[in-house]
Amino acid sequence: MACCNVFSAMSQERTDSTGKILDEVVVTATRTENKISNVPLPMQVIGAQSINLSGSQKLIDILEMQSGLVIANNPLGTSLQGYPNPFGSGIQLQGLDPAYTLILLDGEPLTGRNAGIINLGRIAVGNIKQIEILKGPATSLYGSDALAGVINIISETPKNNYLDARLHYGTNNTLGITASTGIIKGNTVFEIFANRYSSDGYDLDKNIYGKTIDPYTDYSFSGKMISEWNDKNKLTLSGRFFTEKQFNNYMIYPDGQPSVVSGTSVETDESGFLKWNHKVNGKVNYHASVYVTGYSNDANAYLQKNDSLYENISLDQLLVRPELQFNIGAPKALFISGVGYNFEKINSSRYSSKKDMDSWYAFVQKQWQWKENFNIIAGARFDKNSIYNAQLSPKLALAYKINPSFILKGSIGAGFKAPDFRQQFLNFSNSLIGYTILGAKELGEGLIDLQNSGQLDKSVNITPYLNGVTLTPEKSIGINVGADYTFGNKAVWKLNLFRNDISNLIESYNLPFSKSNNQSIFSYKNLNKVFTEGIETNFSYKLDNHFSVFGGYQFLIAKDKDVIKEIKAGKLYKRDPETNVTTLVRIEEYKGLFNRSKHTANARIQYRNDNKGVTAFLAAKYRGRYGFSGLDDFQDGNEILDNEKEFVKGFVLMNATLSKQLGRHFELQGGVQNMLNYTNKTLMPNIYGRSYFINVNFKLEK
Amino acid sequence: MKTLMGIAACVVLAAGITSCEKDSPDQPAQTTVSVTDSIKVPFASTSSYVLYSFKDSAIVPNSDSATTKWDFGMRYVQMIVNSHASGPGSAGVISQSGIYADYNTAPTSGYAYDTTSTKLAVTWNPFDPNCWYLYNPTMHTAQPKAGQFFVFHTADNKYVKMEVTGITYADFVSQTEPPKSIIYKFRYVYQKDGSVQLNN
Repeated sequence: MACCNVFSAMSQERTDSTGKILDEVVVTATRTENKISNVPLPMQVIGAQSINLSGSQKLIDILEMQSGLVIANNPLGTSLQGYPNPFGSGIQLQGLDPAYTLILLDGEPLTGRNAGIINLGRIAVGNIKQIEILKGPATSLYGSDALAGVINIISETPKNNYLDARLHYGTNNTLGITASTGIIKGNTVFEIFANRYSSDGYDLDKNIYGKTIDPYTDYSFSGKMISEWNDKNKLTLSGRFFTEKQFNNYMIYPDGQPSVVSGTSVETDESGFLKWNHKVNGKVNYHASVYVTGYSNDANAYLQKNDSLYENISLDQLLVRPELQFNIGAPKALFISGVGYNFEKINSSRYSSKKDMDSWYAFVQKQWQWKENFNIIAGARFDKNSIYNAQLSPKLALAYKINPSFILKGSIGAGFKAPDFRQQFLNFSNSLIGYTILGAKELGEGLIDLQNSGQLDKSVNITPYLNGVTLTPEKSIGINVGADYTFGNKAVWKLNLFRNDISNLIESYNLPFSKSNNQSIFSYKNLNKVFTEGIETNFSYKLDNHFSVFGGYQFLIAKDKDVIKEIKAGKLYKRDPETNVTTLVRIEEYKGLFNRSKHTANARIQYRNDNKGVTAFLAAKYRGRYGFSGLDDFQDGNEILDNEKEFVKGFVLMNATLSKQLGRHFELQGGVQNMLNYTNKTLMPNIYGRSYFINVNFKLEK
Repeated sequence: MKTLMGIAACVVLAAGITSCEKDSPDQPAQTTVSVTDSIKVPFASTSSYVLYSFKDSAIVPNSDSATTKWDFGMRYVQMIVNSHASGPGSAGVISQSGIYADYNTAPTSGYAYDTTSTKLAVTWNPFDPNCWYLYNPTMHTAQPKAGQFFVFHTADNKYVKMEVTGITYADFVSQTEPPKSIIYKFRYVYQKDGSVQLNN
């Protein structure tokens, strides 16, 4: 530590002293530590180095620059026109919506999805060791939601005593203050982390009252203690707390009269984790853990003219998960098995009462090396839940090392996504328009209530719905086939072909009768079948001791199988808005699901000069054109993507960051985000134009 | 002078929430009439219906609602046909999917009627898969669904095929309020001789 400063030391992990590309150790793919070259699954790792070089404070900014990861806004969110978007944006993986990717923090899931999307702003960027992105279904290890893949954010464990402080200031009066410390006392490591982040938000459309993104303040705290009291026993205790307060101010038009509404939404997220690792002998070890996490979201809005409550929306969620995992055998023939139990409780202003569900699960996985060249993983997981059918999710993966630098990989796995609480339990009537949405389980009681309160005619026969509708989980089969090629330790090229077939997609539908006010009643049922398929390729090349370049590209096709069926059956038409001539839609005219870009690409150049203490970082992400429902106002008379006017133009986001070390302990960073100043105020409200930031980082280590 | 009168009539009609813009290539040899027309109707599900006669290609005043002079009526996105719960005629309607231009023969049975004032022959619920228009929840606009048209048995026992080709809003009061009117553009083929042949 005496020779060089702490920042360059911290960012050395991708290459060793001879400049070779290192084989990162990952845990997400197998629930055990494994070198990435031994994992027969498509994986991507974002190291602390990249995160630090980018200077980014937001996880979503880091993720969106990666290949194959696309920021997807909930289409509902974009229609709200100044009304605070409660859904935010998430990550689309292998062409599947954010709801189909499991987000883990140190291997444990985050809860609190709004319309399927987890607000990634809940995770402070300060103490991340690495982000592991596992693509393809991972349900055989992680259960529900991991259809498209898993994003596992792994926090740093201190290796030395340190004190770290960071100050971030940027456009829109964005201020980030981070402090953390790590202390090693004998066999025990302690770490405490705190972050405050605030922004004034911004307004992309002055014609609409209120800001596009309202001002907010976040606080995050986390602590960790790891005690290895001998080489057989290790105890881990950790906890985190996050809260965000957003100040909302918007206009509503009850009875056509404008009226200002203001208030706050408070989101909190806390968790506690206790784990005991025990090594029985050289071949057997196990760990027992308990994870408890709570999430709440509470939004209150008041009419400005008389200070009366206009709306309160609240959601409270709790997950308790004890788990036990056994690892048996040598690394070359490792067998793991685990059992766990989930207890989930939810309470929302939009549900009729508190709801809970519990489930238990068991998984097994065998990993073995065969004839030196083959690496095989076979596993399965069984989930038994109180409110839906039991699920069995197997997976098989195989890697073949043709030679040390050329590996072929293939895997097939089943995935499922449980019907969420909203689809099961929602009981919501829109006060302005008057429609009602009832979750599948609420259907019977909800309809009886509507009839008793006179909102539904007594003559309507609701008998077929009285027992509710049983939703089955959405199911998928995912196949990934690829190759990794290493060129003389300087360059790596990766290729992966993927295909996901999803059935039983849960969609809302309209009951065949209307309320007395002529408005619809909606519920949920298993309806659609879709597929996504494509190619992802990545290239990284270390030119010399200073320059590294990275490039990635994804080609994606995603289509609704039911639409294809309708087209083939000659049931889908389009109309020329000029001539009013109606014709059948031809199969080649159907461009697939909305919000999917056929082409996405990314590139990154990193420069580092340790002697001068300078690093530079330039990253670009291209998102090709994508369809957006209703963009042509349905002028062609159908709702599918088959018309040039339904496409949003592609765009490029480009970020650059320069870092300079000042002495041994300080680092100064300056950056520009969205250099090309891309904005789209209605469809991409989460993208602000060009913005600037400076960071002052301090680290003391011994 | 005649043209001027026509324009004047159109202006007067339009002012009274009604129609104009039509072409009637009324050839004596043919028994079918092809018409393109538009009507302006109230953007409110509680207003009176604007009533229309295929035979006259004209709006029928509401004072004649209890007669067989009209075939169908529109308000908001709701359609009524002149029979049963809605009028004294014998009109009926079929929501037909297919290509309007290729549809040549009307059936003699299978026509739907308005059972009650809320249970109409033609659904106006945009979430019903058989609905004839598409609702855009982002823009709060509507468009006729391609490949969806109507076959009518009229109040005077004739057959008609009719397709709505455009839906636009009109009479905006302010940017933030819903408009006061909807204009429906439509075309139809009316068979004068009472047969089921609907060739253009």
